[in-house]
Amino acid sequence: MKRSFSFCLVASLLCVAAAVGAAPKSEDYYSVYAGELTTLNYLVVAAENEHSVIANVVDGLVEYDKYGVLVPSLATEWSNSADGKTWTFTLRKGVKWVDNKGKVYAEVKAQDWVDAAKYLFDKKNASLTAKIAYDVVKNAKAYFDGTLTDFSQVGVKALDKYTVQYTLEKPVPYFLSMLTYVCFLPVNGKFLAAAGSRFGTDNKTILYNGAYILETFEPQVGRTMVRNDKYWDKEQVYIKRLIFKYNKEATTLGPELFLRGEISSVYVPSALIDSWMKDPAKKAVVRPAETSSYTYFYAFNFNPTFDAQYEPDNWKVVVNNKNFRESIFHALDRRAAMITAEPYAPERRLQNTITPRNFVNASGKDFVDMADLAKYSKTDSFNKALALDFKAKAKAELAGKATFPVKIMMPYNAGSTDWTNRAQVVEQQLENLLGKDYVDVIPVSFPATGFLGATRRKGNYAIQECNWGPDYADPETYTDPFITGSNYNWPEKAEGYAQANGKPVYENMVAAAKAEVVNIAKRYELFAKAEAYFIGEAFVIPYAIGGGGFQASKLEPFSYPFAPFGMSYLKYKGQTVMQKPLATEAYNKMKEAWDAEREEALKKSKF
Amino acid sequence: MARYVLKRCLQSLATLFIVVSVVFLLMRLLPLEGYFGDGYDKLSPEQRTAALQRMGLLDPWYVQLGNFYVRLSRGDLGTSIIYRRDVPVTEIIAPRIPYSMYFGVFATLLALALGLTLGVFMARRKGQALDKAGTAYIVLINAMPSAVYLLFIQLYGTSLFSLPILFDKYRPNSWILPAISLSLGGIAGYAMWIRRYMVDELNKDYIKLAKAKGLPEKLIMVRHVMRNAFVPMAQYLPAAILSTIAGSIYIESLYSIPGMGGLLVDVIQRQDNPMVQALVLIFSSVGIVGLFLGDVLMAVFDPRIKLVKGEGAR
Amino acid sequence: MSGKTRIEAIDPGLFEFAGFDENASEQIGYSDYSYWGSTVKVFLKNRVAFVLLVILGALLLFTFVQPLLPGQRSPTKINIDPATSVQMRNRAPDATYWFGTNSIGQDLWARIWSGTRTSLLIGLIVGFFEMIVGIVYGALWGYVRKLDRVLTEIYNVLNNIPTTIILLLMAYILRPGFRTMIIAMCVTGWLGLARFVRNQIVIIRDREYNLASRCLGTPTRRVIAKNLLPYLVSVIMLQTALSIPGTMGGGVFLTYIGLGLPVSIPSLGNLVNEGRLIMMSPELRYQLIFPTIVLSIITISFYVLGNAFADASDPRNHV
Repeated sequence: MKRSFSFCLVASLLCVAAAVGAAPKSEDYYSVYAGELTTLNYLVVAAENEHSVIANVVDGLVEYDKYGVLVPSLATEWSNSADGKTWTFTLRKGVKWVDNKGKVYAEVKAQDWVDAAKYLFDKKNASLTAKIAYDVVKNAKAYFDGTLTDFSQVGVKALDKYTVQYTLEKPVPYFLSMLTYVCFLPVNGKFLAAAGSRFGTDNKTILYNGAYILETFEPQVGRTMVRNDKYWDKEQVYIKRLIFKYNKEATTLGPELFLRGEISSVYVPSALIDSWMKDPAKKAVVRPAETSSYTYFYAFNFNPTFDAQYEPDNWKVVVNNKNFRESIFHALDRRAAMITAEPYAPERRLQNTITPRNFVNASGKDFVDMADLAKYSKTDSFNKALALDFKAKAKAELAGKATFPVKIMMPYNAGSTDWTNRAQVVEQQLENLLGKDYVDVIPVSFPATGFLGATRRKGNYAIQECNWGPDYADPETYTDPFITGSNYNWPEKAEGYAQANGKPVYENMVAAAKAEVVNIAKRYELFAKAEAYFIGEAFVIPYAIGGGGFQASKLEPFSYPFAPFGMSYLKYKGQTVMQKPLATEAYNKMKEAWDAEREEALKKSKF
Repeated sequence: MARYVLKRCLQSLATLFIVVSVVFLLMRLLPLEGYFGDGYDKLSPEQRTAALQRMGLLDPWYVQLGNFYVRLSRGDLGTSIIYRRDVPVTEIIAPRIPYSMYFGVFATLLALALGLTLGVFMARRKGQALDKAGTAYIVLINAMPSAVYLLFIQLYGTSLFSLPILFDKYRPNSWILPAISLSLGGIAGYAMWIRRYMVDELNKDYIKLAKAKGLPEKLIMVRHVMRNAFVPMAQYLPAAILSTIAGSIYIESLYSIPGMGGLLVDVIQRQDNPMVQALVLIFSSVGIVGLFLGDVLMAVFDPRIKLVKGEGAR
Repeated sequence: MSGKTRIEAIDPGLFEFAGFDENASEQIGYSDYSYWGSTVKVFLKNRVAFVLLVILGALLLFTFVQPLLPGQRSPTKINIDPATSVQMRNRAPDATYWFGTNSIGQDLWARIWSGTRTSLLIGLIVGFFEMIVGIVYGALWGYVRKLDRVLTEIYNVLNNIPTTIILLLMAYILRPGFRTMIIAMCVTGWLGLARFVRNQIVIIRDREYNLASRCLGTPTRRVIAKNLLPYLVSVIMLQTALSIPGTMGGGVFLTYIGLGLPVSIPSLGNLVNEGRLIMMSPELRYQLIFPTIVLSIITISFYVLGNAFADASDPRNHV
């Protein structure tokens, strides 16, 4: 364990050294942001906006390296019991909690994880991440609900000053990956009690054990993070100061601020990318931005509750016809839709599965290449001939049962220009291809505030663009939206899919996959089968991954902790601010190299 | 007069009570999902209940309203629930008011000084070059969408005069453009109105008489025309100055001024009830006081206006 | 000699006593003065205003005629480039697309005229509504002291409830659309004019001629309609003329919170807002400039016309 860790350290040091010169030197980092922090209380908050600071100031038991391999952080080593339910972690000695001036407050010890859990599972604190932890930790749900009052029964214990033990309800193969999330971060109990309800309300009311200290924090003005001198791994932290300024119009002003050299990194909005690409000077500083693991798909709604004017009963009839669903599935030109968000290289973000590529793999094989899923992951669903073929079949089967053209109520968020544009593109593209005698796509605008509540969650749509983000490193996380009890598209209400136990085929396949906790390759294979079935039956149309777009940035890519979920990728640890931004070609070269190195690293990794 | 003031005060209190209660209840009509933002789907029903309980939203509305007034009577405006969780509302609002007030009052005074001067000269030289130039300015400011010209001023103004794009309280040269931008609309507005009123006033018979009896032009202007033209503006002035407390949404956003602009809209959209209630309380008080002061000021400028008199009233 | 002739030329009849004619004594000075006639006459004398009136009229006419002209494209149709079969994005103005295309390949020429049509219609309806409600409310508020307390109360309450809350609530109840947009703008839009009218009336309500009217027992309605409002026509017209273009541009915030127009109906406000983001890219600036020019022409016209009409409607400017 220790050896592999030091190997990684040496390897990453070498890479950095090769890129920049003898010793990794970095300029300070400047940036503007449009969303102010609501709190620094990492035990309650669940939004990326807050995580972007928390990830840099508080460390957990384990972390990811730049290839996405789990490596020790505050725990130096760990073991799992034979039944897979008990995890024991040995802590690094001498790690300090410091305040916002860098003054040492206490040492980080095992009890800090117990104190954090106690706060997290206390219903009064209304933590928004508690569920993620109490779904796996033994007795935690009962404690949260109040049916259990003795906290010592909950599966988090400090065996001694430097040993933390988690006991789980059942074996969870991806438990280690969960530990990088906020709900498993430690907190100093004494400080927490002293701060009371003010814990995390500003930079003076939390303690730091991470790579950076939030030195200043002025809401609606800005914040400064400085390198933590007491950090256990400070040799790996290269950027000395991170200066963030607040600006509500950051998306409008950002590009100009970057061009004037006032900030180190900016996202280039899709409306501007055309003109930047035409200007050689600007083109030289633009490179693709990283994609995320958010998955986007068009969902067919099996529980239509929309207004009578859009004919929900008719929709119910047609959506239960597989040929009808397939005709839309193959008719949707996803590239045309994507151009509204990504005018350059739209293919980069398209995906043919729900689980994105590069999310997990087993024995060197990517999840999307496993089992039947490989068939879908390599072919574009858009196929005009097939679409018309299915249209003819659907029309024949539905003749007399449904009225044509079918009204397809498709909500979109009026607060998003891209989405507004996309709604029009999809409407016209589908109607042109399938014919206005067959479908009548009706985009309906809804306000940005309360958008999902008014549309998807109520079943107030026929077809809608939906998204979902992963919570941990396991394909199981992508099945959540489609299981009974979720509010995405209610596939359990589809007719003709119920099996002997009353559950639909897909849910039984998922249950079988979930039950496999020992053989990971087998587990993934089963999940891949379930997903392939779900796509094959055209319950949804896989569309795209999140992130992407273009940015101009002096930040060195591929050097920060990488993980397709959680908050590791928000860390600045390991990164440098370069003299000048990368151009697309240089970026692509680095990406190729990184992809190859990553493959090697993943093969060597034990987790 | 004292009785009148007292009556108005009591009436204002009643208005405040109604406004705050109505806003309080309107906020409770918004869907509960709004309190969770994007994270809603990842929460279990138990978590949602726990969070709502914590925000005190599960009690019946009259209990919530009662609690609010009990706390208010102790001077406690509550703590923010979403915008900045657990931070007292006053702590969030207090540091932001001065920024909006400084910029707002300065811009109002600048607009008054420049706008009135411009308007007066335009009226006196009606139809001449200055009048035409002034009219062109007024027309342009009114015609161009402010979102366009303000951004234009910021981007080109800062590069032309090499000023900082963003506001910085330690760099006075970063204050120039936002202050000017803030007053542009006001200058046009005041100039337009004072010109209009003065032209109206200059046409009146008593001015002709004053001219005929040989009063010096300056005296006519200051004593008669300006004073009368100023009466309708007097009603708006106190409210205009007081309402600078609310800040300017767009200009503060563009220049990163940490003022009050947009705060109310922001907290309403995020459904941070204590923040909304506190802000509505502040803004309403200011608005009501402004209206009252306006009435008083108007009566001071024009003795013919009677606020108290009962005779002949209907 | 000449003096003599002059004296002789005088009609001696002039020096006779006139008889008392009862009918003639009833007739007072007669003039063919008509208020509105003179207003129009003075208004038309203002050449700039007249030209702008013609331009505005032509613009208005054109927005309605434009869709009927041959070779016009639909404002919502996404044009596909036949060569590459992708959307014709951000195409600079040329012979086919006179004003170019927007970021998804819709014809900007068609969008601008369709947007103008929509915006003008909204502006006129909302402006008219605000004028009626504002004047009636303001006049009662200002003149009838008994109502003062109640109306002040209502004004204060309505004025102090943030519009955003009302709009947000409406967004949950109503579906976005043309009608919703108009309702949303009318809900609180009249408050400003009401207060303005009220202040004007407070200024003149105790003037002598009103006192006289009251003493003579003239009904309130008549005092307001005949004594007070004519006095205010000029300033009210100016206010209303300014509020119409204000309304046209004010739809952007509504669109953001979802009460705006659906995408199938472009409006000038939306077009300008879409163009704002690309202000810093010179070759795309046409997307901002064209709608801004049209919006500015309309605003300037209304402003100048409002002023000219205010001048013309002031009886003191009549000959």
